[in-house]
Amino acid sequence: MNALSYAFFNAVETGLRGFPIPCRTGLVSIGSPDRDAPVFLTCNYHLTVLRVKKALQGMNCYLLVANSKGYNVWCGAAGGHFSTHSVVSALTTSGIQDRVDHRRVVLPQLAATGVEGREIDRRTGWTALWGPVYAKDIPPYTANAFSKTREMRKVRFPLGQRLEMAVMWAFPFSLIASLLTFFLWPDFLLPVNLLLWGVPLLTFLSFPLYSRGLNPQAKRMERFSAYTVIFDFSKIPLILWAVFLVGLVTFGLVANHATWEFMLRWGFASLLVILIISIDLMGSTPLYKSGLHEDRMLKVQLDVGKCKGAGFCEQVCPRDCYEVDRQRHTARIPRADLCVQCGACIVQCPFDALQFVSPGGEILTPETIRKYKLNMIGKRLVRV
Amino acid sequence: MSTYVLMKILESAPGKYDTGIRIITLGKLDKAYDRLAGYISSGDHVLDIGCGTGALTLRAARKGARVTGIDINPEMLDTARKRLSEAGLQDRVELREMGIAELGGEPSESYDVVMSGLCFSELTPDEVRFGLHEIHRILKPGGRLLLADEIVSRSPWKRILNGIARFFLSTITILMTQTTTRAVKDLPEKVREAGFHIKDMRTGRMDNFLELAAVKPAREDES
Repeated sequence: MNALSYAFFNAVETGLRGFPIPCRTGLVSIGSPDRDAPVFLTCNYHLTVLRVKKALQGMNCYLLVANSKGYNVWCGAAGGHFSTHSVVSALTTSGIQDRVDHRRVVLPQLAATGVEGREIDRRTGWTALWGPVYAKDIPPYTANAFSKTREMRKVRFPLGQRLEMAVMWAFPFSLIASLLTFFLWPDFLLPVNLLLWGVPLLTFLSFPLYSRGLNPQAKRMERFSAYTVIFDFSKIPLILWAVFLVGLVTFGLVANHATWEFMLRWGFASLLVILIISIDLMGSTPLYKSGLHEDRMLKVQLDVGKCKGAGFCEQVCPRDCYEVDRQRHTARIPRADLCVQCGACIVQCPFDALQFVSPGGEILTPETIRKYKLNMIGKRLVRV
Repeated sequence: MSTYVLMKILESAPGKYDTGIRIITLGKLDKAYDRLAGYISSGDHVLDIGCGTGALTLRAARKGARVTGIDINPEMLDTARKRLSEAGLQDRVELREMGIAELGGEPSESYDVVMSGLCFSELTPDEVRFGLHEIHRILKPGGRLLLADEIVSRSPWKRILNGIARFFLSTITILMTQTTTRAVKDLPEKVREAGFHIKDMRTGRMDNFLELAAVKPAREDES
């Protein structure tokens, strides 16, 4: 894979980030692996496989690409597309069993929300290790005898990813809008595109400026109003809109173009764009739970009586909510406010010591989550 | 029948799956399944791979067969369980949440019939190869393999027409369920390679759907 095609696929598939893009499943050899070579597993989302392969360059290992129906690891695992069965199948049908003498497979940590480590062991005899969140950490993780640092367990939302999310929103909408305006109002082609790219870029690139002021718990726990349902980040989208309007007026004055019609038209159009991307702004970040389903604003509950401090929760939590006391053999959730409700800790706990509780007091048991995942895609369709 | 892509929408709502699939396939799938069930006799030990809501499982059980149904989707299995008990056939059927990759645990030469409807189009190439090999192992000599699935046409221009139809239907399906199916390529060849003799084969007018009945040769037939 040369640098040019790597850049090409990254650009195109970032624009289509919102859609699943499957690639070939099966076994891939990296370098010249021997019978003790480590085995890493990932999903069959094309972009992920490209990036993982790049991260593994220079190592001698095997990469198993399991079927996730073209979904990325986290979304696939939470939506039931990347499941225990995907992993079991890849281990059994790819021929990896005949290539290595050991039975250790490193899984991406974010798969822990839908893939059951113990079940893989029971069904195949392979031991599942929870690797780092990001592929770039695989070489140091391997060099460190397959042990993760705290930093390797955490999801982040750096500039590159924020840019990707902005493009994910902007590209499909601008494509549709370009087609429409090209035939109906060709004069608006450029301004509409500026708007559709400008607003998402503004929203996501300025994220660090306002993220500290965000308190998802406040939204989660308060009574819901129409206002908070529409605006995921409460006032933030409106503030961003105001910033955009100031830019608009400035442009109008500088270009000597500030008619009321101009202001109203683009003011209204930008409000629409802000509204569209505000619908699930939290869900577009890895740091917050999607705000779309307020009935599913769940809290993780720890049963101290059942907890034996095994520490799986700490190993799989992407927000580093847990502290495990190895002397007293017990876990705590000191940073519960950071929880994104991925459910990974509940799914992996060998003692069923964790469960979800809804605001209405309803309990989601580990058994339910393991069976039905957090896949509410089907349920949503039926309910709406 | 490119409309099979739409089954993914229905799969996300197992309760409505059966009615929905009947509508989008214009009842054709029912007929295909009925024909396949014609190969099953009373007392047969039958395995249904990817049994879903139990369309084939129910038919086999009604014929008096002892059926094991496997599927990786627990919600579909719940629906199948409900339908079976409504039909009073639950005692003849065992449903298990497992995939085709886990057939290794089944004893050799233990089934009279292995069947699968609209499941191979969801498998990876490795799974198809592995699965056919395992099916051959667990079937008794003279045992039957029954398949009904979406396939890639051999005629290039039908492939293009099917492709266009699929593109639109897939787009709708992906927008609603964020997933889709993939038609299988060269399925009859793969079945033959696994050591089966094809007894009967039927494709639709657009050559995009295949019904297949094959037999694992009795020992003396093998070279």
